[in-house]
Amino acid sequence: MNRGPLLFLGLFAAMACSWTGFVLGPQLQLGGLAQTNTVVVGDALSQTYPLAEPGQARAGADVYRANGCAACHTQMVRPDDLGSDIRRGWGVRRSLAEDYLFQQPVMPGSQRIGPDLSNFGRRADFRGILLRLYDPRLIMGGSLMPPYRFLFETRKIGFFPSPDALVLPAKDAPAPGREVVPLPEARALAAYLLSLRQDGYLFEAPPPLSKTNALEGAAK
Amino acid sequence: MLILFAGAATWLLAASLLGLLDSLKFHAPAFLAGQAWLSYGRVDAARHAAFLYGFGAPSALGLALWLTCRLGRATLAGPGIVVIGAILWNLAAALGVAAILCGGGTGFDYFEMPLSCAWILFAAFLLMGVCALLTFHRREPGFLYPSQWFAIGSLFWFAWIFSTACMVLLFAPERGVLQASTAWWCERNFDTVFLGFAGLGSAFYFIPKLLGRSLHSHYQAALGFWTLAVFGSWGGIPNGAPLPSWIISLGVAGTVLTAVPVLAVATNFYQTARGDMNGLDADPTLRFTCAGLMFWIIASAQQIAGALPGVSVITDFTWFGAAQKELFHYGFFAMTVFGALYFIVPRLLGLDDSAWCPKLLKGHFFLALFGALISGLSLWAAGVGQGILLANPGNSFTDVLRRAMLPARVSLLGDLFVVAGTILFLLNFAGVLARACRRGCAARKERP
Repeated sequence: MNRGPLLFLGLFAAMACSWTGFVLGPQLQLGGLAQTNTVVVGDALSQTYPLAEPGQARAGADVYRANGCAACHTQMVRPDDLGSDIRRGWGVRRSLAEDYLFQQPVMPGSQRIGPDLSNFGRRADFRGILLRLYDPRLIMGGSLMPPYRFLFETRKIGFFPSPDALVLPAKDAPAPGREVVPLPEARALAAYLLSLRQDGYLFEAPPPLSKTNALEGAAK
Repeated sequence: MLILFAGAATWLLAASLLGLLDSLKFHAPAFLAGQAWLSYGRVDAARHAAFLYGFGAPSALGLALWLTCRLGRATLAGPGIVVIGAILWNLAAALGVAAILCGGGTGFDYFEMPLSCAWILFAAFLLMGVCALLTFHRREPGFLYPSQWFAIGSLFWFAWIFSTACMVLLFAPERGVLQASTAWWCERNFDTVFLGFAGLGSAFYFIPKLLGRSLHSHYQAALGFWTLAVFGSWGGIPNGAPLPSWIISLGVAGTVLTAVPVLAVATNFYQTARGDMNGLDADPTLRFTCAGLMFWIIASAQQIAGALPGVSVITDFTWFGAAQKELFHYGFFAMTVFGALYFIVPRLLGLDDSAWCPKLLKGHFFLALFGALISGLSLWAAGVGQGILLANPGNSFTDVLRRAMLPARVSLLGDLFVVAGTILFLLNFAGVLARACRRGCAARKERP
């Protein structure tokens, strides 16, 4: 331990081991993941999974990243024996490596101050998302989420009222003659959130063998 | 080097102020939410970036440089280059934090700074790192003291993980989930190994030196060093992550095995100080360093516990993780760095320890200690409580979160303490600088 070169060599070896295991190894195993044809939960026809995000959702991912949404929201459903995520209805199965193939950047998050969003697109609707962004407490009474008013614009109603204007309860409504309209960022973010779904059956997460299988789901 | 430390301390204030703002938001979610750049997600990311790149990394670098000079009995190689590096670093960090507030964050924890800033940071690091290596090369022949291993180790580690993050996450991003696994790995190495090495290196120097004893066992120190390098660098991936299970298992094994370095280091210091425990309270540097070590042991134990699948079922994704980071960053790392600064700064300025105002110093110690303790413990309680309630899917998520808010809000008090302590330190620091200037002027007048 008294020689500089020996110290460097030791450090190099220790770091190289760890790097090989945690950066190179996963790359070798998962670097070649590709889309597959499979059945999606609740659908009988096979389709390509995962699908690339549509254009507006791509832009919305940037809004999600820029505003640090991942500080409060995870996008990672744990297997049923490692948490209550699935029983809470946050997903139909655990998250798998394939689900993130087209995410850029991947933002799995580290803390849940808000609910997991892996499958938010399966349970939300466009208008509801916009209302939530404008004032979360309109939808969920005790929500801790801050309002994102800067994604909206209050403006004078033009010749025709905007079809996108938010329908707000009386106490939150803007002054008469004015309307609250989502800015393009809000629309993009909502499109991104709607695109979030991890519902393809894959090798590691096959359809359940019980009666509630994919075909039955489709019949409903 | 002084620039590095002064910059670091100012940054800590900035980081803790942002942290305060962060916690305030939990008292009123709508507070300041109208401004995009003050929204929670951005402030939270900026706070971490300011701590890690404003305070953490430069003070770790400063410690490494100082220990290399001091223990090698060598003068700093290329002081001008180090100063340029330090200025460049601080500029890039300021730019990066501003970029995050403007919405330019990258979305990766610990590596939120946009690529352009990351390149400048890396260049600045290289300037300073090369000077450190040249200084190391100039050392007097003879044996290497453990602190020197730790100092060189921390420099080496930062270079590797930061370049990996720049290349694989930002410059040429990997596909899909690999980004997440690399980011988790880099994050773990940044804390456990890079900051851990820097802080422990300082502890290994100051505790035996100021007690006037020799280190109990060099072999045990070597054991701690190598096992921390090998096992500390594994892990950081949450159980249940969407990755093949061998990677997760390897991480859990590595994290659990960090118990070896923790025990090796703790017993080594215990044996060194045995019989003179009161001596540990005699000197401000010792007091800070020992408190830092205690926090290191607690934070490491918490990290090990949190990696076990039985525990992580409850604690993953709750305030538990935030508590661990708080204890590690503000408890261990910041306290250790302050301890070192109380020793180093007067000596760099040609003064002695009496230059510090003892009242401010005492105030800083208690504020820093209780700040980290209150924040850590309250977040810990919030995390465990939240985890236990969430395990039952019958409890509504929003209700559980609201109940966990009460202890989480107490952590605001801890943040306040940390801010106040840092202000006291900066006042004291300014006083010492003023004294050094006055002395310098007086000396110049006498000389005609």
